[in-house]
Amino acid sequence: MRSSVKLHPTRWDAAVAAVILLLAAVTGGAYWSRTLSAGNRLQAVVSADGRELDRVDLTALSAPETRTYSGSGYSLTVEFSAEGVRVASSDCTNQDCVHTGEIHHAGRSIVCLPARISIQLTGGAEDAAVDAVIG
Amino acid sequence: MKLTTRQLTLCAVLTALALGLSYMENFIPLGLLIPLPGIKLGLANIVTIFALYALGPTQAMLILIARCTLGAVFAGNLNALLFSLMGGLSAMLVMIGLSRLRRLSIYGVSMGGAAAHNCGQVAAAMVTLGNAAPLAYLPVLLAVSLLSGTLTGYLAGLLFRALEQTGLMK
Repeated sequence: MRSSVKLHPTRWDAAVAAVILLLAAVTGGAYWSRTLSAGNRLQAVVSADGRELDRVDLTALSAPETRTYSGSGYSLTVEFSAEGVRVASSDCTNQDCVHTGEIHHAGRSIVCLPARISIQLTGGAEDAAVDAVIG
Repeated sequence: MKLTTRQLTLCAVLTALALGLSYMENFIPLGLLIPLPGIKLGLANIVTIFALYALGPTQAMLILIARCTLGAVFAGNLNALLFSLMGGLSAMLVMIGLSRLRRLSIYGVSMGGAAAHNCGQVAAAMVTLGNAAPLAYLPVLLAVSLLSGTLTGYLAGLLFRALEQTGLMK
């Protein structure tokens, strides 16, 4: 064996776990503070390859609306309603986007990596900060 | 860098084992329990940890790069190469650093590697999508890395114990 291996957990392993948990809490806290500071005007921003494809004002919807988007050879059917947004169906390989279910709060997002499509919910109060699109 | 025939053979066998574990992982529907893109147990990390301790960082890195490249070629998806390389290299660098801390056991090293792997993959997703949407998944992925890191650390530990008994890894 090239180097000795400690096979039993030590208290220093707990320190590593604590650092990871702290990192999770900090990133989670940042996410929640963004959610709480969002305005009431809920918008869904659909992007593919970093380019904004569509922007739907959910608060203005009186009835659910279905739209289809394509990216990297895959097609996603997205259902928008006043309450939130979900991917109703997709022909992508892993179906993670469909399994994510409906998202309701600003700051949340649905990602379809095979199609390179993301759907982000944004709040009206922080539109300028959140909706900067790189690409 | 020169490798002996024994080292080269061992690297090849471990690469094949890592590829097999990666493929096997597709049959574990973890994504149904926690529907996040790219969520995995990271079973191939058992091989990385084993190689890091048994063969050293250089050969462990060679195995990792071979596994990521061949995995992307077999999957016919070059986009997967970016994800596996960014995740794998992040994990490897963190594990090389942590493995030098004598007070840490294989569990701490494995948890650190799993967390770094998820950070690397989130970064790859941000590059691919061109926006920061995947960052929202990071808190949950980091929390899950504690469980997956503990599991892979435990399994790698079993492997070491078994090999110690056979006397093959001297």
